[in-house]
Amino acid sequence: MNVLIVEDTKELAVELIDYLDKSGYVCKWVATCEEALEEVSVNQYDALLLDLGLPDGSGFDVLKSVRKAKSKMAVIVITARGELDDKINGLDLGADDYLTKPFALTELGARLYAVIRRIHGFTVNELDIHGFKIRLQDYKVSYQENAVALTKKEFDIFQYLVLNKNRVITRLQLTEHVWGDVLEVSSDSNFIDVHVRNLRKKLDKHASIEWFETVRNVGYRIIS
Amino acid sequence: MKLKNKISIFSAVIRLLLLIIMWFTLSFVIKKVAYKNIENSMVEKRDKFVKNLNTSEINAFIERNDSTELYVSFSNLHSEFLQLYRSNNAMRSKDYFVDETRIVENESNEYRVLYHHFTYKNTHYVLEIGERLSEVNELLDKFHLVILLLLTATLIVSHFAQSVFIDYLLKPFQKIIDTKINLINEPELFDHSKVHTTTSDFIVLDDGLNQMMDRIQEQFKKEKQFIANVSHELLTPVSVLQNRLENLLNNESINDEGVDKIVVSLRNLDTLKRIINNLLLISRIENHQYSNFEPIDFQSLISELLADLEDRIEMKQLRVSNTVKEHFVFEGNKTLMHILIYNIVFNAIKFTPNGGSVSVSDSFEEGLYSISISDTGKGMTETQLSQIFNRFMKINLEDEGQGLGLSIVSSIANLHKIAIKVSSELNVGTTFRLIFQEVKK
Repeated sequence: MNVLIVEDTKELAVELIDYLDKSGYVCKWVATCEEALEEVSVNQYDALLLDLGLPDGSGFDVLKSVRKAKSKMAVIVITARGELDDKINGLDLGADDYLTKPFALTELGARLYAVIRRIHGFTVNELDIHGFKIRLQDYKVSYQENAVALTKKEFDIFQYLVLNKNRVITRLQLTEHVWGDVLEVSSDSNFIDVHVRNLRKKLDKHASIEWFETVRNVGYRIIS
Repeated sequence: MKLKNKISIFSAVIRLLLLIIMWFTLSFVIKKVAYKNIENSMVEKRDKFVKNLNTSEINAFIERNDSTELYVSFSNLHSEFLQLYRSNNAMRSKDYFVDETRIVENESNEYRVLYHHFTYKNTHYVLEIGERLSEVNELLDKFHLVILLLLTATLIVSHFAQSVFIDYLLKPFQKIIDTKINLINEPELFDHSKVHTTTSDFIVLDDGLNQMMDRIQEQFKKEKQFIANVSHELLTPVSVLQNRLENLLNNESINDEGVDKIVVSLRNLDTLKRIINNLLLISRIENHQYSNFEPIDFQSLISELLADLEDRIEMKQLRVSNTVKEHFVFEGNKTLMHILIYNIVFNAIKFTPNGGSVSVSDSFEEGLYSISISDTGKGMTETQLSQIFNRFMKINLEDEGQGLGLSIVSSIANLHKIAIKVSSELNVGTTFRLIFQEVKK
């Protein structure tokens, strides 16, 4: 998967590339509108991470020209809160998803995966982790044809951990993913722990899950 | 009351007074003129009579020499009379007029009577010449009516003419009010085009308003720019730090102690991020940057919201009742209304001990719709209650929030013109009541 990162803050781009590289994406980074426009016209990309506030213009211009070219590129707009009046505006202009800075890298990973899957119509509609099959289209999990009944939140947590497998996911990242960027929720991680405990109990009934690790003081990790 | 109406009422009252004065004055003057006319004709008759008297009639009258005898002559229809008699009283040299009622052949009539005293051959005589007043009075009555009608007509016509004129004159003023003053709270919608008028006062007013709004708009733009800058400038480094720490966390070479420190740092960063975001949210609300208002269905909003918080409710074993049932159509920003109610419900859940209860209900009282959120939580003291909407106000120190939740609630409520009433009793519970201004059912 080729991803073009359009981001004027180099330090941020470095972190994005670091994360995406490890997740198996091939990244190219540019910092201006001009470079971005040139890059999308020359090379084929599967996805575009687009910052809106660029030194030589707005990321929207890049978005418009990408959409004009009818390219089948997944576009995720990255912006600081306050630059857009509403989430709808970004999506209206043809972005496939929208992330506000600062966001968790794992959140970016999950969104990118979902968007690419949707846009490029992958046949892979199932994630497999040690025999557990996660059906992405209808939110079902099964183990050897036996359904594992999960609540929506448990499914969300499981899918999120699997999409970011081999990475430590902090309670904070999980909380934000499950409840969204809700104000004043703060870091009350107990709730996440309860959901994870229930999830593990349900999975454990079907098979041993030593690959589902609790990382002391930090959060959780699923090892592939 | 509108200026236009005030002017209309004032001028109508003045005109009515004027009409009454005119009517009385005219009546008085016309009566005077009419009487003067009659009197003049009576004086003429007197002169004629006295002249004739000397030659013929008086002789006959004197020959009879009867002191009681009267010489009376009436016209056929009793419209006038003439009477002559001797007088023993002292003579009055001047003629005078008196209004008197005389009965002539069983018919009582009002007459204007001229008394004329004269001496003829050492004898005093009194000559009375009368003129009936009923015709004159009838005429005067008709005159009064005509005058009244004329004056009333003038009053009405001039009132309408004036209304039209005032309307025309105040049109620019009305336009300034409708298109400018009424939109003063929405600087972005302000119409800067000049209002066409030749009235210098309105030009000054219009120019003044335009200048003022220009300045406000400029300020507004700057503030917006500032907020955008702050959000960008502060959130970008936070973003870099967060993502770097997240990557670092997955670096195998970092030991447990390092991991712990990274996690604590991430938590602090999260707090920082939330504070910035919340302050931004407040300032964006207060700058009216949330313009997209749509009808909001509170029933579904509240049940969705409670479903979202279900796990918390279950874990604390709270009893939650949701009896929102009224159909109230409200135009508002959906995102903000969600945040508003979410924050209140979230607080209710947070501050209610295990096994307590939280209830959400709505009602129409005196035509006003309201939603109440009550809990059986720890409640607040009067002092705490008075400070809950202040920024960075925390009721207790163990609270993990940043003390901005209710500040946001208050900003959103202001934007939507919703009044919030909070009542609370320590260790009993708290009730938040949202009272909506719009009356629609």
